[in-house]
Parts: sequence; C-alpha cells; structure tokens
Amino acid sequence: MKTKHIIAGSLLLALTLAVGFFSGREFLSMRQDDEIFPSSGLTAKKMLSDYFPALKDTAGDTEVFIFDSAAKGGNLLIVGGTHPNEPAGTMTAILLAETIRAAQGKAVIIPWANASGFTHSDPQEGSPQRFFLETPAGRRWFRLGSRVTNPVHQWPDPTIYVNPMGQKLAGIEARNLNRAYPGKATGYLTEKVAFAVMALIQKEGIELGIDLHESAPEYPVINAIVFHENASELAAIAQMELQAEGFEFRLEASPPNLRGLTHREWGDAAGIKAVLLETPNASHGRLKGRPTISLIVDGKDKYYEQAARLGRLFVPYGPDGIPLKLRVARHLAGVRAILASFNELEPDKAIELADMPSPADVQAKGLGPFLK
Amino acid sequence: MRILYHLIVLYMTIQLVWYLFREKNFWKQASLVLVLVLFLLRLFLIE
Repeated sequence: MKTKHIIAGSLLLALTLAVGFFSGREFLSMRQDDEIFPSSGLTAKKMLSDYFPALKDTAGDTEVFIFDSAAKGGNLLIVGGTHPNEPAGTMTAILLAETIRAAQGKAVIIPWANASGFTHSDPQEGSPQRFFLETPAGRRWFRLGSRVTNPVHQWPDPTIYVNPMGQKLAGIEARNLNRAYPGKATGYLTEKVAFAVMALIQKEGIELGIDLHESAPEYPVINAIVFHENASELAAIAQMELQAEGFEFRLEASPPNLRGLTHREWGDAAGIKAVLLETPNASHGRLKGRPTISLIVDGKDKYYEQAARLGRLFVPYGPDGIPLKLRVARHLAGVRAILASFNELEPDKAIELADMPSPADVQAKGLGPFLK
Repeated sequence: MRILYHLIVLYMTIQLVWYLFREKNFWKQASLVLVLVLFLLRLFLIE
C-alpha cells in the first residue's frame, strides 16, 4: 500500500517520457527544410552568410537564388518568408525560383528570409506545421512557421525592444525580421539576418526590392502595395496596371516614423525602390475558426464569412474564401506590374523575367502544376 | 545565458520529478506530469 503512489508515479513518469518523445519528434521535424527545385535559369545559389559570414552555421542562414541574364539591366530582389506564417509570400518566391529565367538584368530570390521562424509555430494557435500541394512529381509539403524567430535561437526577449533605428517596440518584436532593418552586425540573430539582407542589397547592386507578405482580413493594410516614397510613382503606375487586369490593390505610403520595416529601411538605408505587397490570409487572422491545412490552402472560414456580412473586414470575403492560389496569383500580378512600372520609369535598368506563370493560370489551375 | 536557462529548467524538472514520487494523491500526480512534459521539452530546447 505504501508503494502504491510510487508505482503510480513511475507509470506517469513513463507516460510523460513517451509523450515528450513523440511530441518532441513532431516539433523537431519542423527543423527539416522544405525542398526547392530551382528552374534551369538559375545561375548561382548562395547562402545569406556569404554576404555576412557571422550568420554561417546559425539558424538565421538561408538560401539565396540568383537568376542573372548577363544582359545589361537592373537588379531585383524578391523576398518571401519574412513572416513564415504568411504562406502566399513564401510560395510566390518558391514558385518564381522554380519557373523563371532572367531575360534581362538580374533577379535575386530569398524564399525563407526568416529561416529560424520556419522551425516553430506560434504558441497557443494550434496551427498546422505544414501544408501540402499536389505537383506533377507528387505531393509536396511546405512549412507554416511563426511570425517571429524561434526563441530557441534568440532568447530572452527584452521587456522593451529598441530596434536598430531607435524605435521602441514590444519585447517580442525583437524576433520580428520586419522590425529589425537595417539590422545590426552585433545585434540579435534577427538583426543579423536583416544586416545580411542589407549587405546582399549592396553587394548585388539591387535597385528594386519586393517583400511579399500577407495580413489578416480584418487588418486595414491589405490587398495593398506599401511603398517607400522613392517608389511612389512606380507604385501608382503598378496599381493602375493591376486595376486594368482586375486586381484591386490599394496604395499605402510607408509611414516615415514607423522604423525597421523593409519598405522603410531598404529605401532609406540602401536607397533602392522598396515595396511590400499584402494579400488577405484568413489562417492568421484573429477571427478564424479552427486553424486547419484546408484553411491555409482553400482559405474558407465561416466566421470570416460572417464577419464580412457584418462589415468588419477590409476585403470582400464570400463562401469561396480566399484560397492560396488566388493570393499567390495576386502576388504574381503585383510583381509583374511593379516590374513593368519599373521598366517604364527606368528603361536603361530594365528587368525582364521570362517563363513566369501568369496570374490567371495560377488562379485557374492552382500552384501545383507550376511547381516541380 | 543558455546555461543559466538550462540550469533553471533542470532544477524545476528535478523538483517536479521529486514531488511526483512524494505526492500520494493520484490526481495531483497526474496534474503534475502535464507540466513535466513541457519542462522536458524545454530542457532539450524543443520549441
């Protein structure tokens, strides 16, 4: 009788170890990188640490894909995965890396900008760790990460985060790549990643930078082109082209006092034309129901439908939801229109990307047929 | 900083295991292991 609680304790401890083992294995599986199969137009594959060696062998290092035409033209940077819980940004970057060829100028693509953020998911959200797409070669998986760097890689958060531009933010923002620009060589891991991106911009002679994001349907900056003031004309022309194509985009000027973001610091610190694109993603909104793989891919949610009926959203949201293929199509249309606008304004630095899937095709057929 | 974190988590984990075997009420033992799983994951830096 005396040993009854010892036996119970031993059994419970064994159960704990079993649960710890299996759940630990699940969590650790997120540290396995997604696969990517670049197009034949790829001319060089580098790592972000090639531009800032202090990142080597850290969780912040990530792959950089370069498509160089060798023909005189401008240099473009496309960044996905700044926020790893915004899959349309990452998927657009992957789709471009697997399809394009540079016909003029050079394109540099970073699909997983915050690589550490892809190794975990947001706590207490119950988000799926990955989603799946059918491709001609079979079923492929892609990780859905967290908005911020993994605390295992950057810890602890300060009470108040003072970013490299001196802006005071909540402590968790120390792990938000889109608050860490222009970065800091001796700072937090996230600041080092931002610093490396700035070094890449300088070394590759980037003139136009596009950062691909998503936002919640109840957030006002949505279906938008957020632009640095040096890209205002470019953004306005792109918006007109997009409207002519049937894509509604609003223009949002980058607030000069909101520091540390790509559309602000790429323009201020590097002097490039910087824009950020936003599409609506119900899977990371606050009004969503159960977060499922289907919500990420199909984008249907009855609570968002109800919110739309009540006029609480900043985008139309019907029974068909806002699927990933539409969000990626919007990003592709945005990239194409921005490039066309850039080429019109800077004909001597034109950038031409060949073999880019058309937004209409992606919207009609989905992403799968265009991936390898 | 990481060593300090490990030491704190290890100390708490040992305390939890110690109390697991001292506690005589089964339901309190069961409640305790719910917390212990999280501490074990933290101990191995699994997020």
